[in-house]
Amino acid sequence: MRQALKEYNFDWMLWRTYMAGSRLKKGTQGEFELALQYIPYFRQPVEQVYKAKAGELFLKMTAQYLENIVNAHAQGKKTCMTTFCFSPAILYALDIVPVMLELLTVMMTFLYKRGTGEFLDFCNEAGFTETSCSSQRGSMGAYLADISAQIDMVVTDSSGVCDTNSNAFSFFAAYKDKPFFQLNMPPWLVEQRVTEYHVQDYKALVSFFEEHSGKKLDYDKLKSILQELHKQDELITELEYYLTYKPLPLPVTTCLFIYAGRFMFAGMPIYTQLLETLVAEGRENLKLIQNGQVINKEKARGFFCYIDHYTHSLRLWKMLEELNIGYSGNILSHFFAESNPVSKLESNKGVGYTIKTDTLEDMLVSIAAINSRMPMIKSIRGPYDLPYMWLQDTLALAHMYKADFIVYNGTPGCRNTWGMVKLLAQDTEKAGFPTHIMYADAFDDRVQSWDATRDRFEEFLRVRRLI
Amino acid sequence: MLDEFYSIAQSINNNYIENEKAHGKPCIGYTCSYFPEEILHSFGIIPYRIKGLNVHSLQVADAAFGPFICSHPKCLLQHFADGDYSFLDGIIVTPGCDSMRRIDECIRKTAVNLDLPIVPPFFFHYAVPHKITEYSIKWLVDELSRCIEHIEKHFGLSFSMEKLKSSISFYNKLRKLWEELNALRLHEPPLLSGADATAVFVAGLSMPRDSYHEKLSQFIKHYSGQEYNNRKRLMLIGSANDDVDFIKIVEGDYAVVVADTLCYGPRLEVDYANEQDEPLRALAVRYLNHSHCPRMYGGYRQRLAKVVDAIQKANVEGVVLQNIRFCDLHGAENGLLERDLEKMGIPCLRLEREYGPLADYERLRMRIDAFIERLDARRVVCDRH
Repeated sequence: MRQALKEYNFDWMLWRTYMAGSRLKKGTQGEFELALQYIPYFRQPVEQVYKAKAGELFLKMTAQYLENIVNAHAQGKKTCMTTFCFSPAILYALDIVPVMLELLTVMMTFLYKRGTGEFLDFCNEAGFTETSCSSQRGSMGAYLADISAQIDMVVTDSSGVCDTNSNAFSFFAAYKDKPFFQLNMPPWLVEQRVTEYHVQDYKALVSFFEEHSGKKLDYDKLKSILQELHKQDELITELEYYLTYKPLPLPVTTCLFIYAGRFMFAGMPIYTQLLETLVAEGRENLKLIQNGQVINKEKARGFFCYIDHYTHSLRLWKMLEELNIGYSGNILSHFFAESNPVSKLESNKGVGYTIKTDTLEDMLVSIAAINSRMPMIKSIRGPYDLPYMWLQDTLALAHMYKADFIVYNGTPGCRNTWGMVKLLAQDTEKAGFPTHIMYADAFDDRVQSWDATRDRFEEFLRVRRLI
Repeated sequence: MLDEFYSIAQSINNNYIENEKAHGKPCIGYTCSYFPEEILHSFGIIPYRIKGLNVHSLQVADAAFGPFICSHPKCLLQHFADGDYSFLDGIIVTPGCDSMRRIDECIRKTAVNLDLPIVPPFFFHYAVPHKITEYSIKWLVDELSRCIEHIEKHFGLSFSMEKLKSSISFYNKLRKLWEELNALRLHEPPLLSGADATAVFVAGLSMPRDSYHEKLSQFIKHYSGQEYNNRKRLMLIGSANDDVDFIKIVEGDYAVVVADTLCYGPRLEVDYANEQDEPLRALAVRYLNHSHCPRMYGGYRQRLAKVVDAIQKANVEGVVLQNIRFCDLHGAENGLLERDLEKMGIPCLRLEREYGPLADYERLRMRIDAFIERLDARRVVCDRH
């Protein structure tokens, strides 16, 4: 690793950068444009994010998330290294600061041209496999190298869903000798014994948190967080309706804001604010569209059945805009609250969770249900063609969003989806959706350059006569 | 007799299975060591640990699995596609790891896509938790009950708790024999090579267990042993291996594998099921506690302790840590083991390889030779001091 990279703590450096980014629009438009000239490496991502009205808030929220990590110990709080598919609501209820590796990786890949290459490589130096998922390795390298805030405990909930995810957290815990807890996910979802297992597992997790944070779970706080989460679910439900409209009445980055915000601040007011801003923009734009105004040109609409491509400058979203491709959602932007249109689809009958806060047991049952329906956790835990799993979700969502084609993008480290994605693509093609499998790494341009990725994507669109 | 073990270990089907099937005994294959054979044995079904060796092409497997998948399940799938497992009346798929769990869809979909009759009539997905707690033990007991119900329904057989008890007892006796066999490797000099031991263990997973028990007893009784003098004593750790030839590469002319933790072997120590406990619970406890595989997340320290204990018992001079490419679980654990064992002064060699056809034979041979030279040099330095 270059000495220069060790000069500043990884998370501290990101915090300061995002904080600066979130303040760029505080002045006049002229001052903003002038400032962009002084940040040539950062101007593209900044410009892309600011295209959405919620962009400023999104950057502020990201900076806040990083600030919490950096200052956790100084404020007497414990830190917990965890994963994007673990709902952080319980951590906020216990006053523990979440450190989600995948989010931190993306925060860096969006901004830095070199991406997280050197942190990825440092994981290998420490003994971790190069074939593992780059979403964790990208930031884990910094935490292994101790150029970061210190971690107090490690929790993952992907055991039974994603080996490379669980394995990364398990490796870190063993390497740094930190307390470790894993929630297990059986391969099925809607069964009484599965629900019971989730609840028992979740209760054991709460005990683990209490033991290692030295704090008892504050049930009043949990209640208010869950109530806030319910409010957020209702806002996401409204957004889902806008996202089914053609042309899209929201910026192409909306889906990114929805899921990234939820991963960072589920149940916290700052995320509610972000969603409210998005909803207001959606309402306003929808009215304009209904009055005949052109907001977005949309030649075709894609559904990303897995994740997005996160390398430098939000180039995926920029490309979609340039090609006039509408983009409404992916596997990450669905949380399966009962009120959500996705949960009301025939294929998801009985899947949606409800938030009940009457008793302590109700709350734990609710939060276990939320967690077991997190993105990826819900859809790829069992054979992909079983009820409630990946194929059903993909087809149902592609239909719901009126998609013209489906794209798979992931990482070569994703053992789970690469074990079946070719079969999935055959099924989605049979269902009438042209399907493109990207062989790129969503978090590491060194695997396949963005130019090559874009060329192949455009070739797919042309060959299949989608544009 | 050793030749017969070799022959059974190195082929997919064998006469023992054919003969018993001719007498009406079904045969069920399974993919992971976390499935208790005792259940099948109690029904009078032949348990068969599915192997991937001797595959000549991955034409079908590459079409179903993506490119970033471990070659072991790919070889298994190819065998199914080639009809080599047509003698199986059933298959039990376990989410042992992400690559292996997808064999479920790959077999079913390949059958549909290529119109091949390759899906065994009995098909069961058996879910094993990744940790040991009271509720995960209960989960596994429920899974075993579910498996029993499915077998009863599909094959029209009746389950008997008494028969299960006697199967548990039978397997404990088999484990006792494995322990005796393993003891031959711990000798100074070793009396059994790692390749021979692997052949005996793998054969045991590929033939009716009663016949195997008899053969193994006879083998141990009459085995006079061959002394492997002046060879480096190695331990082999990592990804699943059912291939005797791979052990032969590791041993070459200058080493002998005296201990291993491989999935198709007896692993570090033989752990017994508790015959006094309620049978299903005893099996759930035994198999979940059989946590030698890094799929049991968070168990690294316990596994390290077992490895160190095995190194001491077998007087190991060097450890070969190998993983099949894309086997992230063993790959990562090997990194931790390398760090910790080297710190303890135990030389380690970390290897990444492909499963199956020995495409990289020379590369592996050269690296192992270099490692053995390192051990030689170390011995000279130690002698000087």
